[in-house]
Amino acid sequence: MGKPERLNILVVGVGGQGLITMSNTLARAALLDGTKALVAETHGLSQRGGSVEVHVRLGDVYAPLIPEGGADVIVALELIEAARAANNLKNNGTIVANDRIIRPAVPNVEVPEREELLEYLKQFTKTIYLVDAYDIASKVGSTLSQNMVVLGTLMGTGLLEGFVSIKAVEKIISTLRRAELNLEAFRRGLTDFQRI
Amino acid sequence: MASKHKLLAPSGTTRLLMGNEAIARGAIEAGVGFVAGYPGTPSTEIIETLATVAKDLGIHVEWSTNEKVALEAVYGAQLTGVRSMATMKHVGLNVAADPFMTLAYTGVIGGTVVVSADDPNMWSSQNEQDNRYFGLKAYVPVFEPSEPGEAKELVKLAFQFSEEVGHPVLFRSTTRISHVRGPVVFGETPKNITNKGVFKKHPERFTVIPAHARKLRGELIERWETIKEKIPKLEPFNRIENPGHKTAILASGLAYAYTKESLRMLGIENKVTLVKIATPVPVPEEQILQAAENAEKILIVEELEPVVEMQVKNLLYNVDKTIEIHGKDYVPLIGELTLNKVLNGVARIVDLKFSVPSKRFSNTTIKLPPRPPAMCPGCPHRGTFYSLRRAVNKARVKPVYSGDIGCYSLGVLPPFREQDTIIEMGGSIGLANGFAHTLEKQVPIAIIGDSTFFHSGVTGLINAVYNSAPQLIIVLDNRVTAMTGEQPNPGTGINAVGDPAPLIKIEDIAKAVGVEYVDVFDPFEIKDGTDAMYKALKYVLENKKPALVIAKRACALEIDRVAKRKGVETPMYQVISEKCTACGVCYNAFTCPAIMVEEDGKAVIDESLCTGCGVCAEVCPFDAIVKTRDGDPEWYELWNI
Repeated sequence: MGKPERLNILVVGVGGQGLITMSNTLARAALLDGTKALVAETHGLSQRGGSVEVHVRLGDVYAPLIPEGGADVIVALELIEAARAANNLKNNGTIVANDRIIRPAVPNVEVPEREELLEYLKQFTKTIYLVDAYDIASKVGSTLSQNMVVLGTLMGTGLLEGFVSIKAVEKIISTLRRAELNLEAFRRGLTDFQRI
Repeated sequence: MASKHKLLAPSGTTRLLMGNEAIARGAIEAGVGFVAGYPGTPSTEIIETLATVAKDLGIHVEWSTNEKVALEAVYGAQLTGVRSMATMKHVGLNVAADPFMTLAYTGVIGGTVVVSADDPNMWSSQNEQDNRYFGLKAYVPVFEPSEPGEAKELVKLAFQFSEEVGHPVLFRSTTRISHVRGPVVFGETPKNITNKGVFKKHPERFTVIPAHARKLRGELIERWETIKEKIPKLEPFNRIENPGHKTAILASGLAYAYTKESLRMLGIENKVTLVKIATPVPVPEEQILQAAENAEKILIVEELEPVVEMQVKNLLYNVDKTIEIHGKDYVPLIGELTLNKVLNGVARIVDLKFSVPSKRFSNTTIKLPPRPPAMCPGCPHRGTFYSLRRAVNKARVKPVYSGDIGCYSLGVLPPFREQDTIIEMGGSIGLANGFAHTLEKQVPIAIIGDSTFFHSGVTGLINAVYNSAPQLIIVLDNRVTAMTGEQPNPGTGINAVGDPAPLIKIEDIAKAVGVEYVDVFDPFEIKDGTDAMYKALKYVLENKKPALVIAKRACALEIDRVAKRKGVETPMYQVISEKCTACGVCYNAFTCPAIMVEEDGKAVIDESLCTGCGVCAEVCPFDAIVKTRDGDPEWYELWNI
């Protein structure tokens, strides 16, 4: 199977989880490997704990937004947000998700069960990777590094081969603040995940 | 490499830049000497980025009090020959419209670029107005890039063009340019920039009294003809690709990116003539007429309004052949462009059967809870809204909450619902000026932030005193322009480039303009806050005069970040499970995002989110929330403003 011309990665989660840093790290690494990258982010109100969506497009791309139903990969830092975005996944697409649920700060909110969310996701694809990024990141030293753990898992799946190399991502992470901690989180994410 | 600012990388470097950073770099490469603006999504990062290098480069960069003031400052600066730029969001240009219209009449001396960052789809705005219309209305050419890399080049060109024709340029960005990151190739920067100049008096030109304005109007129309002649020469920004086909597509700005990708996806890139437009006002007539020579069908792809479409139809009216022209009938008027929308329109114009991808359906559904944005953990506004509700109940009044634009707009959401009207920046006191004279059984309560107050709330306040409009005005002062990312304002004590600046106190302004009842309270103290607002309400009812109270605490986002960076220990709070009755006051009525719910309904605090503000401990009716660790004294200091 030949390498596709472009890869659409939809990154979702909750404002404050570091989605933008994660997406930029990936895009900067892509550039380092000579792959064109576009990242479209939502700002403003969404910073304040709301749902956030970042569109990362790699390869032969011009438009900043992934077409509806056109995501090759959904990367979710939270399971409710994974479910919210799932109908944008292509047939046979892949979901990489942080195995974590964050309760929305809404009065009398009903939060779905983890199993219910996973069953729902399974309708859209057979390829789902889960990583307990919260646990890994706390062990590494800071829950703020959850995003780097999930980035590690995304790279660990091999989906980005030909677009972005693990080496390039590590090179970019080493320029970030708290580089060592983030590198450690990223490396743990590369292997410490499961396919369900 | 790490120490050097990323915007100052050497010529030839390729960097992943956000569109706004690219615009900033373009201005630097153009030798800009003066930049002023007011924060507003999606425009903010242009000045934010420039502010970090301003002192190194000798550029004057400022956050002005509002967009009108910013454009006036730019007006003055360019009259001395200094290249100048004003930045604002689309609705900011409404505020600056007055000087903008005149700018076209007088023309400019130094190259002048007004950046308007429009917000199709209203991601962070009250409307999706298309500011290219401002170009048509004012006779100001509009430049519109298709991606961040081109944005940088086009800004540079805009300065040259402006100076060459002695006329301002409106540079229109959008959310999907300003907030998209893409590769940008750096160019040369000038060795010296001009940041000082001389004003040469010329009253016939720069004083627009009627006698002068009439003459200037004629000159403006003449200049417009020159501009129309020069616009098609702006290649490769305006260009024709694959000329000679029977189908032509004209795509302006970002629409070019969507159109280009659609043509590739459909495999018809070589079968269609594509006119790329970077100047939607005025359109490049030469390229359009050339495309029309062979075309039987034309599709115009543009975001929002039919600005190009109207001009093209007007232009081709006199062409001696029949051409089928489509625009807004093929590509929707409302909302931002998507690949799906453009694919649809492009496939239709070439009569191609193509099933455009769409969102997938699932066999089973799931009820997903909404996740609207919320006030941050530790946000002082939460305490203010919580106390305000109590004060209003205690005073037994029926309030009309005249709201405003800022983080506190989130008070419109449950459980607070304490924003009944939100219209535009600074409008809260303005609307209350009307409510005050027409309401009989309800009381107007204007709610406004510090930056919004300085922006345009202050004029409404003066009016309230002058026309004696009884109302309670609550200023939520967190010392920064928080919503857009904590930019400094006249109440902060520093300026855009980080130098100390005079700190202007809102209580002093209120007293100076004649508000007789002025009070300040701490929003972290629910009882005190309730009392302060209750007393002020009573004053308004009894004296039929405006009263102003200020809730003062720093922005939680800022303090959380500063505390983490400095390693300042924050207090810690815990829920004592035995005491918690699962009443839900803390997570349903106070709704702090750091408070989670156990399966039995009891509350638990997520330590990774808690900022240690401690307001939940006061809110809990059963004293079940207690402090388990005290914070450093410095931590308490940080919050005081």
